[in-house]
Amino acid sequence: MKILVGIKRVVDYNVKVRVKADQSGVDLTNVKMSMNPFCEIAVEEAVRLKEKGIATEIVAVSIGPKTAQEQLRTAMALGADRGILVETDEPLGSLAVAKILAKVAAEEQPQILMMGKQSIDTDNNQTTQMLAALTGYAQGTFASELTVAGDKATVKREIDGGLQTVELKLPAVISADLRLNEPRYAKLPDIMKAKKKPLDTKTPADYGVDTASKVKTLKVEPPAERAAGIKVGSVEELVNKLKNEAKVV
Amino acid sequence: MDFNLTEEQQMLQDMLSRLVRDHYSFEKRMSHYASQEGYSTAFWQQLAEQGLTGVPIDEAYGGFGGGGVENMLLMKELGRGLCLEPVLASQIFAAGLLQQLGNKEQKEKILPLVASGELKLAAALTETNSHYSLQHVACRARQQGDTWFLSGQKSVVVGGASADLLLVSARTAGEQGDPEGISLFLVEPWAKGVTRNAYPCIDGPRACDLLLDEVMVGRGGVLGKPGQVFTTLQYQQERAAAAACAEALGSMEEAFTLTLDYLKTRQQFGQPIGKFQALQHRMADMRGELELATSMTLLAASLADHPPSDERSRKLAASRFIITRAARFIAEQAIQLHGGIGMTWEYALAHHAKRLVMLSHHLGDEDTHLQRFADLLKAS
Amino acid sequence: MYFELTPEDEAFKNEVRGFLAEALPEDIASKVRLGKHLGKEDHQRWQQILAKKGWYAANWPQDYGGPGWSVVQKHIFEEEAAAAGAPRLVSFGVNMVAPVIMQFGTQEQKDYYLPRILSGEDWWCQGYSEPGAGSDLAAVKTRAVREGDFYVVDGQKTWTTLGQYANKIFCLVRTDPQAKPQQGITFLLIDMDSPGVSIRPILTLDGEHEVNEVFFDSVRVPVANRVGEENKGWTCAKYLLTHERTGQAGVGISKAALAHLKQVAGREMKNGKPLIEDPLFRLRLAEVEIQLLAVEISTLRILAAVEGGGAPGAESSILKIKGSEIRQAISQLLRQALGANALPFLQDQIDPDFTGEYRYTDYAAAAASQYFNLRKLSIYGGSNEVQKNIIAKMILEL
Ligand SMILES: Cc1cc2nc3c(=O)[nH]c(=O)nc-3n(C[C@H](O)[C@H](O)[C@H](O)COP(=O)(O)OP(=O)(O)OC[C@H]3O[C@@H](n4cnc5c(N)ncnc54)[C@H](O)[C@@H]3O)c2cc1C
Ligand SMILES: Cc1cc2nc3c(=O)[nH]c(=O)nc-3n(C[C@H](O)[C@H](O)[C@H](O)COP(=O)(O)OP(=O)(O)OC[C@H]3O[C@@H](n4cnc5c(N)ncnc54)[C@H](O)[C@@H]3O)c2cc1C
Repeated sequence: MKILVGIKRVVDYNVKVRVKADQSGVDLTNVKMSMNPFCEIAVEEAVRLKEKGIATEIVAVSIGPKTAQEQLRTAMALGADRGILVETDEPLGSLAVAKILAKVAAEEQPQILMMGKQSIDTDNNQTTQMLAALTGYAQGTFASELTVAGDKATVKREIDGGLQTVELKLPAVISADLRLNEPRYAKLPDIMKAKKKPLDTKTPADYGVDTASKVKTLKVEPPAERAAGIKVGSVEELVNKLKNEAKVV
Repeated sequence: MDFNLTEEQQMLQDMLSRLVRDHYSFEKRMSHYASQEGYSTAFWQQLAEQGLTGVPIDEAYGGFGGGGVENMLLMKELGRGLCLEPVLASQIFAAGLLQQLGNKEQKEKILPLVASGELKLAAALTETNSHYSLQHVACRARQQGDTWFLSGQKSVVVGGASADLLLVSARTAGEQGDPEGISLFLVEPWAKGVTRNAYPCIDGPRACDLLLDEVMVGRGGVLGKPGQVFTTLQYQQERAAAAACAEALGSMEEAFTLTLDYLKTRQQFGQPIGKFQALQHRMADMRGELELATSMTLLAASLADHPPSDERSRKLAASRFIITRAARFIAEQAIQLHGGIGMTWEYALAHHAKRLVMLSHHLGDEDTHLQRFADLLKAS
Repeated sequence: MYFELTPEDEAFKNEVRGFLAEALPEDIASKVRLGKHLGKEDHQRWQQILAKKGWYAANWPQDYGGPGWSVVQKHIFEEEAAAAGAPRLVSFGVNMVAPVIMQFGTQEQKDYYLPRILSGEDWWCQGYSEPGAGSDLAAVKTRAVREGDFYVVDGQKTWTTLGQYANKIFCLVRTDPQAKPQQGITFLLIDMDSPGVSIRPILTLDGEHEVNEVFFDSVRVPVANRVGEENKGWTCAKYLLTHERTGQAGVGISKAALAHLKQVAGREMKNGKPLIEDPLFRLRLAEVEIQLLAVEISTLRILAAVEGGGAPGAESSILKIKGSEIRQAISQLLRQALGANALPFLQDQIDPDFTGEYRYTDYAAAAASQYFNLRKLSIYGGSNEVQKNIIAKMILEL
């Protein structure tokens, strides 16, 4: 069984981002970039399926600038067998990404398309859903548990009201939620091996996808600054403050 | 000229920084400090599983064959986390000595165990009266047939408390200060005649003193040519010192960040204390020192594995000088800028400060490095 | 990661060395080494030699007649030129006003001024500082009032370096006294020969005539001499300052000065032995040399970042501080190396064209003067305190 994992290069989650002076976006110069944490969980899940003998090949795909190679190599150090970079310097909207992934899927014919539930930079949470619509595959979003047997995948989903379990007929698109697993650290020997794994570079044009977006970002603003915290002396004081000052209870 | 990391080096750094961040919070560090071993055996195990204990060891012996830059990445992240595991002492310094001086048999027997983290080494080179000098060796080894008998003392062997095998320098010829006549021996800490007194150091790691009383070492325990190891000891100490620069740099960066954050949070006189120019300028000075320290750590990493030369030694001494000075400056300023909080045991900053200051009491201090640079000063 | 030059850069370095060995006049190099002030003629002679080779305007884009060097090549050239004893270029024209004209000037201004800078026809000086506007540059008060096609300028500039040689001055003038300080300033190019411009020397503490006061009394300046829009001069000023600040670490100059210091220390005697063998002095030498090495590596790191497409940030402020401190430290050691021989203040022997017999040695004559002169390094170009303010604000966000 082949698994295709979509991964995105985003600002590292430890970085305190800064909005550009012209409010056109976040300043990315000299900022540490990493794999989107949810994508990492998706990679981990694919690798576990391979270790269980269920998957036979893992292909990591990233759509982004040339430097997204670094994230593909990381995926390969974690256990992906090869990588595909669809290179583009413009930031793409979810739909364009979903269209490209659908084309890659058509070419690669995976049984499972593993995705992160959302990327921490744009928080869109829709590529998976769009991809399912475009490919016609079954979808299991916000997976917190995944079992694959035969041509079926069982997904436990985290929803507001609790946990929902669904069964999907493969091929399917599945998006990883935070509690699906705890990603491993790449091991040094695997980091070395990743260098030798194959990495193909394509462009959106190779897939005949029009990447023009219908959405325009008008401006980006930093969140309101949080006021300094205070120390309370006792539980009574805390409750009192929550009641009378914060008025939350 | 290229200061970029390769993709692999970048991944190594990412992995390390995450590993340390996830597993080495300050609270955990303090419980490791208080534990029986004085460090985390679980974290050591994890380092081994990730292949990190093999970073500096040749591929032929199951390591990764990393050089100065990889050692730098490793130590910098461990320094940032104030990690207590004896990576520098064992994997870089002592294993480096073994790698360079050991014969095929010794290396094949020992190094794979070191690379896999199963066996820890420590180099016992200094003595109470040697003051950072590797050639002031009073400990003696006397030969009888194929056997050597070691007697004397070694002091403040960092990493020695947890070591499974010690590399001990002893004089086999010549007088106390001679560079000639120094030999290196493999000594098991539990061998007859060895007394090991372990204790914690003020900056966290454990060390030990050794008393050697007619300790027997067979032919297989002699490292390198008897009487002729001094230059190698010096060379490897310089390599270890280059890695120590990186450890200090990681800790400096963390101390700097903690202080900067504090300046933005702490309010006095109705405003964040970071608004006071007196403190801003100190902080700018610290940033300047950090910049130079970063440059010299990179230089040291790039030179560490070069063949021995005066030029290499000179520049490594320069690096160490800049880093020890910067480390102390940043430590002292960071405490000062924190006010009373900087004085407390329960806050990470104080422990960074201690580590930063005390790193200069190990592998040579400011004066040692300045003197060495001056000795090698080029006349034009 | 590696610190070595690429083979191409190595070849370039040799080319530069070869050129300097051949083209740099020894009399000029000797004055530089001895720490003497150069005359106008010396500067112009060297500029002409460089211009002929096409290397004078090293920072200019090729379209304007620059050599098209990479940042690393520029750095190599500066190092080698300093090592050979070439004078530091007087940068007001070629490296200060020229970039501003290229960036903000009209086509006519570019066509007129740039070739004249390249040929050495114009000597520019910088009219920023005023008695009431030093570090706080936005406090300039020199007034320019629009009258038809002219501005009428009244006021005073000060500390104008080598203004006595200049035929042009670029000035920050106030055109809108009501606006916020930064918003009412205009950047003007003024002819020093215009009626109403007068100049008075200021002697610096070393007895030299290096700076001046320049007075403007109803000076009529064509509006065509304005660079950029009216009241937008602060943008030009800031742009220029970023150009002024890069390269201020002066690594090349410090290396040359250190080499000179070592030579002197090899000749001066203490306790019957060359001073360089004195353990204490040697440690002091070692310490500055180490600091210099650290600044050099830091400079290279910034260069590499710029070459890779980054912009030199407030890091150059760090290098300005460290670099100036090192240059001052070297001049201090040189003065110290001479012992009591540094005391005599014999102005004829300090004169750049002195050809007689020196009282002690040629290198002793100007050493103390130069030490005092170099105190300026931490004052001008944004004082070191102002640099720390920049670091606190830009890097540390305090
Ligand atoms: C070992 C020890 C024993 C002590 N014993 C006692 C005791 O017995 N009784 C008691 O009452 N107190 C005691 N103190 C408290 C001591 O007086 C305070 O630590 C001191 O007043 C500084 O206050 P702070 O620690 O809150 O630092 P802060 O006031 O927060 O200062 C933090 C930093 O900001 C600087 N700073 C603050 N304001 C300015 C400003 N306006 N301009 C420039 N810089 C500024 C400070 O110099 C410092 O570097 C003790 C402190 C220590 C460390
Ligand atoms: C030799 C020499 C040549 C020069 N050549 C020229 C030239 O050609 N053209 C030109 O326009 N100017 C020139 N200058 C002027 C130079 O730019 C100014 O001297 C400089 O900007 C400092 O201004 P100031 O002398 O008025 O000192 P001030 O601004 O009065 O500074 C006095 C002291 O206060 C400190 N200070 C000021 N503000 C702050 C602050 N906010 N925070 C902390 N400390 C502060 C300063 O660092 C300094 O130590 C030259 C100066 C010298 C010495």
